[in-house]
Amino acid sequence: MDPTEARLQKLRGRAMPRNHNARTISALATNPGCGRRALMDAAGADKQKLAAYTGYPAPFGQSQFAIVRGNAFEAQVKENGAAQLLSLLREQLRLDITEAHYSDLGDVGGNETSEVRHARTKRLLTTVDEKQGTMFDHPLLRLRVGGRHAYLEPDLIAFQLHGKCHVVEIKSFAVIDGQADPAKVAAAAIQSAVYVLALRDLLGEHKVHDETILVCPENFSSKPVATPVDVRRQLTVVKRQLSRIARIEDLLGCCPDDLTFDLEADENGIPRRPAREVEAAIRQVPANYAPECLSTCELCYLCRDEAHGTTAALGKPVREELGGIEYVRTVLDLARGAAPPPETEEVAAQLIRAAGIRAALL
Amino acid sequence: MAEVTEGAETVEALERRIGQLRVAVREAVLAGDKARAKTLRAELKRAEQAWEDVLAEAEDAGITQSAQSPHSRQSAGNAGRTATPEQTGPLLPLREQVHEALSLLQVPAAPKLIATVHEAFFATTFPTTRVTSLRRDEERSFRAAPFARPYYICAALAADFLSPSRGLLAVSTWPMERRVIGSLSPRVDFLQAAIRIAEAIERIPAPVPAARRLLWRFAASIPGAAADASHIQPEAVRQAAEAELSVHKDADTRTRREAAARARHQLADTEQLFGTRSFRPAADQEA
Amino acid sequence: MTLLTALARALAAETGRAQPIRTVRHVHLCDRPLVLIPLQLAGEACAPLAAMVGDDRDKPRMLTVYEPRDRTQRFDFAADLADVVLGYIDSYTTADPPSEGPYPDAPQLLVPNDGGVSFTRLLSRSTRFRRTEGEYAVRHTVPLLGRWLNFYSERCEAPASALLLSMTAVLADHWATGQSATEDASLASLLGWIDPPPGMTGAAAARAAEDPVRCPPAGPATDPSFDNEVLAVRIAAIRTARASGDGAALHRAQLAMEAALRTQLEPTWELMWRAVGLLRVLPPGGHVQDRWQADRRAFTGHVRWLREGGAPAPRRDGAVPAARKLAILERDAQRLAVQRAFDDPLVLAEYRLTGEAFAGVVVDAQPDRLDTSGKRAKLRPRITVATGDEVVAEPGVKLVSSTRPKQNAVVVAVTDDGPDTRVVLELEGGMGHSLVPPQGSVPAVGETVTYTTLRDDFQPVPTFPEIADTPWTHGGPPSAYVPKDEDATEEWS
Ligand code: SF4
Repeated sequence: MDPTEARLQKLRGRAMPRNHNARTISALATNPGCGRRALMDAAGADKQKLAAYTGYPAPFGQSQFAIVRGNAFEAQVKENGAAQLLSLLREQLRLDITEAHYSDLGDVGGNETSEVRHARTKRLLTTVDEKQGTMFDHPLLRLRVGGRHAYLEPDLIAFQLHGKCHVVEIKSFAVIDGQADPAKVAAAAIQSAVYVLALRDLLGEHKVHDETILVCPENFSSKPVATPVDVRRQLTVVKRQLSRIARIEDLLGCCPDDLTFDLEADENGIPRRPAREVEAAIRQVPANYAPECLSTCELCYLCRDEAHGTTAALGKPVREELGGIEYVRTVLDLARGAAPPPETEEVAAQLIRAAGIRAALL
Repeated sequence: MAEVTEGAETVEALERRIGQLRVAVREAVLAGDKARAKTLRAELKRAEQAWEDVLAEAEDAGITQSAQSPHSRQSAGNAGRTATPEQTGPLLPLREQVHEALSLLQVPAAPKLIATVHEAFFATTFPTTRVTSLRRDEERSFRAAPFARPYYICAALAADFLSPSRGLLAVSTWPMERRVIGSLSPRVDFLQAAIRIAEAIERIPAPVPAARRLLWRFAASIPGAAADASHIQPEAVRQAAEAELSVHKDADTRTRREAAARARHQLADTEQLFGTRSFRPAADQEA
Repeated sequence: MTLLTALARALAAETGRAQPIRTVRHVHLCDRPLVLIPLQLAGEACAPLAAMVGDDRDKPRMLTVYEPRDRTQRFDFAADLADVVLGYIDSYTTADPPSEGPYPDAPQLLVPNDGGVSFTRLLSRSTRFRRTEGEYAVRHTVPLLGRWLNFYSERCEAPASALLLSMTAVLADHWATGQSATEDASLASLLGWIDPPPGMTGAAAARAAEDPVRCPPAGPATDPSFDNEVLAVRIAAIRTARASGDGAALHRAQLAMEAALRTQLEPTWELMWRAVGLLRVLPPGGHVQDRWQADRRAFTGHVRWLREGGAPAPRRDGAVPAARKLAILERDAQRLAVQRAFDDPLVLAEYRLTGEAFAGVVVDAQPDRLDTSGKRAKLRPRITVATGDEVVAEPGVKLVSSTRPKQNAVVVAVTDDGPDTRVVLELEGGMGHSLVPPQGSVPAVGETVTYTTLRDDFQPVPTFPEIADTPWTHGGPPSAYVPKDEDATEEWS
């Protein structure tokens, strides 16, 4: 085992490793400056469990109704050799009638390990032409995140048309009169972009289309409808953000050698390590809290607590309006006339005027 | 928290406690404490049962009384009407029902389709989870006494590795060519199934709505089969399916023949029915 | 985000209490608004689960859908909701629409948050084209409810309208909290900052409000742990009871489900009315009535349209109506910004900080000054204002004062005077026709005044072709929207 792998395993401790997926990678990409998340994800630490154990349970979970609905819709679109999907692709992308192949890459002769499945995905997608392959279900892709490989298990079908692969993403939110919840579409587009990147890694830049296909239920029914989504912008974003994620080796270099997030569970799985100690261990890795974390990262309440008193905790627009000054305390001192350091003189003058006007009017 | 003492608590007290327990369960879940959540869930279930019992007793005694708002009482007024008596239980064992459905389809199918077909043509249905475990039982039975039964519900085999194809069931008496699945086979089998269903509908004088719905689900994914759900003709569906089938048939048959030959040659009896998990790649060596 | 609001957020964070960022209320508030709190089933486009609705704090109506995936029960829900909402609207239209002008008052809908607005729009979309006879018939009130909800959610897109309000949006517009905008989207948390319980800081109250178990979300989404631990069990109990044919058991299961949902709705119901109380205390801004009058006109117009048998709004606008709507929206947004600045010195202060306005004291005034350069003498008083604000306006620029919007003030000279700036202004208009200005029409020495480059006179919205003349580049004239079979029979599952 290489030394980085060993360090990461030590960080995770005895817990089962958590794998990256498109959602965690796009979440990581929304906050590329956060070393804490990058490191804990690379180590496969169970952030949800750690957050709950230290007294900061994550504010999001999934409703079983949403899960059931999502699974049912996906199954419906894919059942019978993805018959429904095939009709959509024929209608919308003029897929030739001869192209109706469906290959399930969910296992390889009963073997379900990542390496074997990835090798099989690679082999099929690189050697099979349109005459032998149209839709590929459960491909296993790989992407470098923070200098390390992460396997992606998309619930999607890559399909070939005119020598190029398209990523198909199946989501169960509704498209109503041609419109869907913009936040959900944006999230789906970012995730598709992650898959496109991973596929390009495998097949080469020009073999994968930057237009992905989003399949959703139409209006209030469960009938699927396909919408092409241009993810060029998201590709740029994800690529840039991924390149900004510090290399895991560098992050490890800044942490003490004996750092670990192990909960020291006993044979019954009951953690014995004091919560305070675990929290202190987490806090050793520098974070970069922003309110966006509240919907993307399990550790958000812990980090928010830590960021108490910073302008960042109030959100980026507020922080920018306040001249990028880091602490609320400093802002208010300046507003009350404290001598500003040279680089904040202009902001300070504005703050004093603003405070003066407020005081006079209230 | 105190143990439940059934019957001793009033409806109001039980409702309070149920409320408290629900809070406690959700807190345990949010805190990631699975063990505690489990204990509390059990306790909650007992409390809810006690609440039911107390109310049922009160109703039996003719004192319909509840701690709910007047509004809720009124809205529940139609309670009795909406209930439907349970469907009469199936007469045949599960494996025979599955066999009936597969025999109609004549192609390997997923549990969901099998259940839907049985509902549409044989009037009973079954939970798909039971079908999944059926395959394991069949394999066990075959291993214990090979070929003791006239047929087994067995697996379809992936053409490349001859491993059990995920989620597809077949009948052991079918020729191997029908039970191996190449990349075109899902489409070919889908079209075959559409033809079988169309024919079955033509055979029965008054098809039930479930059968017509099933036919429409197939027709909707076949070019030229039907314009919409209300104008659907079995004959037209059959013709459209046959038209597309003719496009894929040859290529699919080639793949299947080749794989079937390999299976007969390489696999032992049990493996021929339930697939192998030892890598046996097709012609090109890759493993 | 503006500097003043950002500063107020910093102050709120320091004091642990929300800070006011307005001195007046910028929205109209009815005497008797209708509060509507919808809940929907997770994972579905628009599957109503329950709602609490009413115009009387002490008498909420609760509606429950026991089988949220059942089409019939959804339409029953819509019909029950229609009874409440249409009954409420009818109480404003007991008379025929006045032959001229709007009804004296209009019904107002309050929902907890933007999700509530979206729910309203989707519910309207899935009900307004339904047929009341033939196959798939629904109760006659269902499409009518849909058309009213469509009217309300469309109006809600107009920035100046107060017919349908999202409570978190209104509160966040009037108070700055010491947390981020993301966190302000929670009604309970926002109110925690603004109006914490005695002995608690706003910050602490907001934190307490984040516990989904003690403080349910304000909808339409329910908390996942509620779904998984409570709701799923209740729905399963109902299904079991129904399958067993035991009417009494079904009744009990329904009671239990309703009680569970009530715990998710009641806290928000209280919060909504508390928020209404907090907003009522604020005096309304000067232009609030004007804007409400526009709302009343729109409402009255819709009543007329319905009574004359007009068709429901289409699924989507055609090119011309969409463009016209957008132009009107843009103009209204500008006008609203100016009106708010004139109504509220704290809003105007934002413009003072950017140099688009200044406030100061009149240090010299020549109220009787005449301009005799032309053929006839004209009354052109001059005043000098001393201000500490930054003045970017140059001589020749026309300014307006928020207190005398009909009077133009032309900048004559701007001079530095120590820390202050002196601005000489020449006034025109708003002083009657004689050569002697009426009392009070010219600011007097010692009076505090504010002048700004913001103006309330807008270009009219450009004329758009008649719908029948839609150019081919925009798809040509659309055929008028006639609800189709498909609209009436569309799945809602
Ligand atoms: S919540 Fe903390 S760990 Fe997670 S991304 Fe934000 S700052 Fe990083």
